[in-house]
Amino acid sequence: MATARLRELSYWYPRGATPALDAVELEIGDGLTLVTGPSGGGKSTLLRVLNGLVPHFHGGRISGTATVCGRDIIATPTAQLASTVGFVFQDPELQAVYDTVEREVAFGLENLGVAPRTMHDRVDRALAEIGVEHLRHRRMRTLSGGERQRVALASVLALQPRVLVLDEPASQLDDDGAARVLAAATDFAAAGRAVVIAEHRPEMLSRSATAVLAVDAGRIDGRWEPKDDEIPTQPRTVPGAGAWTLTDVTAGHDRNAVIGDVTLDGRQGEIVVLTGPNGGGKTTLLRTIAGTLKPLAGKVERRPGRVAYLPQNPAAILHRPSVRAEVDLTLQWSGENGDVTAIVESMGLTAVAGRYARDLSSGQRQRAAVAAVLVGRPQLVLLDEPTRGMDARARTALVRVVRALRDGGAAVVLATHDAGLERELADRVVEVCGGRAIETNAVTA
Amino acid sequence: MDNVNARAIAAWSAACLFIALFTTNPAYKFLVLAAAFTALAASVGIRRLHRLVIGVAFVSTFAALLNFVSAHLGSTVLFALPDSIPAVGGPYTLEALAFGINGGLTIAAAIFSAAPFSLVVAAHDVLDALPRVLSRSGAAIAASMNLVPSISRSFSEVAEAQRLRGWRPRGPRSWADVVVPVVLTSAEGSIQLAESMEARGFGAGARTSWERRPLAAADWLLIGTAVAAVGIFAFAHAMGAAADWYAYPRLSLPAVDPLGLVACLLLFTPVVTWRPRG
Repeated sequence: MATARLRELSYWYPRGATPALDAVELEIGDGLTLVTGPSGGGKSTLLRVLNGLVPHFHGGRISGTATVCGRDIIATPTAQLASTVGFVFQDPELQAVYDTVEREVAFGLENLGVAPRTMHDRVDRALAEIGVEHLRHRRMRTLSGGERQRVALASVLALQPRVLVLDEPASQLDDDGAARVLAAATDFAAAGRAVVIAEHRPEMLSRSATAVLAVDAGRIDGRWEPKDDEIPTQPRTVPGAGAWTLTDVTAGHDRNAVIGDVTLDGRQGEIVVLTGPNGGGKTTLLRTIAGTLKPLAGKVERRPGRVAYLPQNPAAILHRPSVRAEVDLTLQWSGENGDVTAIVESMGLTAVAGRYARDLSSGQRQRAAVAAVLVGRPQLVLLDEPTRGMDARARTALVRVVRALRDGGAAVVLATHDAGLERELADRVVEVCGGRAIETNAVTA
Repeated sequence: MDNVNARAIAAWSAACLFIALFTTNPAYKFLVLAAAFTALAASVGIRRLHRLVIGVAFVSTFAALLNFVSAHLGSTVLFALPDSIPAVGGPYTLEALAFGINGGLTIAAAIFSAAPFSLVVAAHDVLDALPRVLSRSGAAIAASMNLVPSISRSFSEVAEAQRLRGWRPRGPRSWADVVVPVVLTSAEGSIQLAESMEARGFGAGARTSWERRPLAAADWLLIGTAVAAVGIFAFAHAMGAAADWYAYPRLSLPAVDPLGLVACLLLFTPVVTWRPRG
């Protein structure tokens, strides 16, 4: 028997002219259902139907029928479905209500009026199920992204839902954090319950999945394969003159050194990839090279010219009325000439160039931000975890743009956990760990 | 600090605020400020108070100077600016300065009296101490407070990213290019948090609480001394003993009454009952 059943379900967001979901026919059974599809195709909307956030939280118009575990979702408020459908969101930073792990896991139980004694037992079990008992008394703000996401998962499992829905839960995490979160979800499915998960790295789950759905343009569209355009491999350009140098640099925040005695340099026409664990000092190193963080000791030198810096959450900079205006703003501010149309096209945004960037899907927003930062001819390009949360298409576009910048003579430094990106782009690899920067290899052309 | 009950802190804070706001006498206000500062320093240490002290000093100084500049009353003229200068012209008096300092003292005492709610106990302890009828509102407030650090971080990140795109601050309007994205991002963050709360049953019905900690002997002592402090001070004031103070028309020293002094000294109880953080 199907756990969830959607019949002729169509949904329009408020003021939406076209349906975000279009006559969806779907049955979901126990086990792990993997939801794939392009960015902006309707994955998140479909998942939100399963616990009633669509339409109860988001408003809009809905037609058709939807039931989960026999409950009519369209007639039942989301809060009443909490013990039936558990939902874990994409961003681990934006799910915490309380300041300690134990309390955070208990939040849903408090809302459902569970008696304190039962609540303590269920919190214990949920923490053990996810393997985070050791974090019980930790402050939420001291946790890594992966730890926070596992706590979010524990807080949902404490409600003992029949169905677990996860919306790209690992997209903001490094590989280790992602693997742990996805393993927990897989274990839940292996215990005979239903798990529905949207994931932009489907290869991490395809073996465990009992069903794979593709959502594109609001329709369930058979099996979707990410269209990774072939990126022609080109002989790497010979690096040019020195572009930036750090000499015996110590840097950090509030006089606390995060990196110490780092001596490193980069040249024009070269991509240096910074790898290493979270908290190792990669972002501090990038900001020091950018000049936005003054070193506590040592010397930082850069060739004159524009610095393009892509922060970890690049979509936060978006505020202009259209994608095109956002890209144009960088050229206006920097006084450079650049081809707005070309970069918008290369990031696959031509169709949405006239739309407000914050109305786009998260993947499209990210591409818009990349276009806005990298347009023109920056001499130094600094990218902090640029593929975090990116779908395959955005990632391919990014690789193409970064290579073009490198081949145009820009010095590129990027911090990433993405081993594939490292292989595709790195001319040199520097491991940043425990505040030290050690060059691990130089990739030859 | 896990040895203090938020309800006991609430009683003590209320007593401090009562005296600081009830009297106009700067001597008592100063004693309340001293009690609150000493209690905080004893429990969390001077280092953790560094930013709070700077913030309070700034606000209080501003309040004092504002009165000094804007109130041209009093008989002891220190200096005068021509009346023709708009807003700031006129005599500058010792009385206006003293009145301003008294206002600054009130602000400082009030802030330090309320500070234990954020410095001494965790937000969830405060939530647990709330009456059940306020539990849902308390949870919503706690959730929104969790967004504050991310807003602050977002402001720094956006300002830095926009600067590197070529943005430069050129007058108040130019800050829209930083403030607008931060506000939009914060609003979106709030919506995601609200989604997360609703998905976990927020608003489903009557809530229960993880823990309602019973009051220990030290908590009862604190509540008792707080009630006594309020009672003694109100009694003394009613009897005309803990007199108010007026800066105008001519400055005089504030009078201190033994009963009022005892009431204020009772507010120092937390120095003994709040053990330092481990």
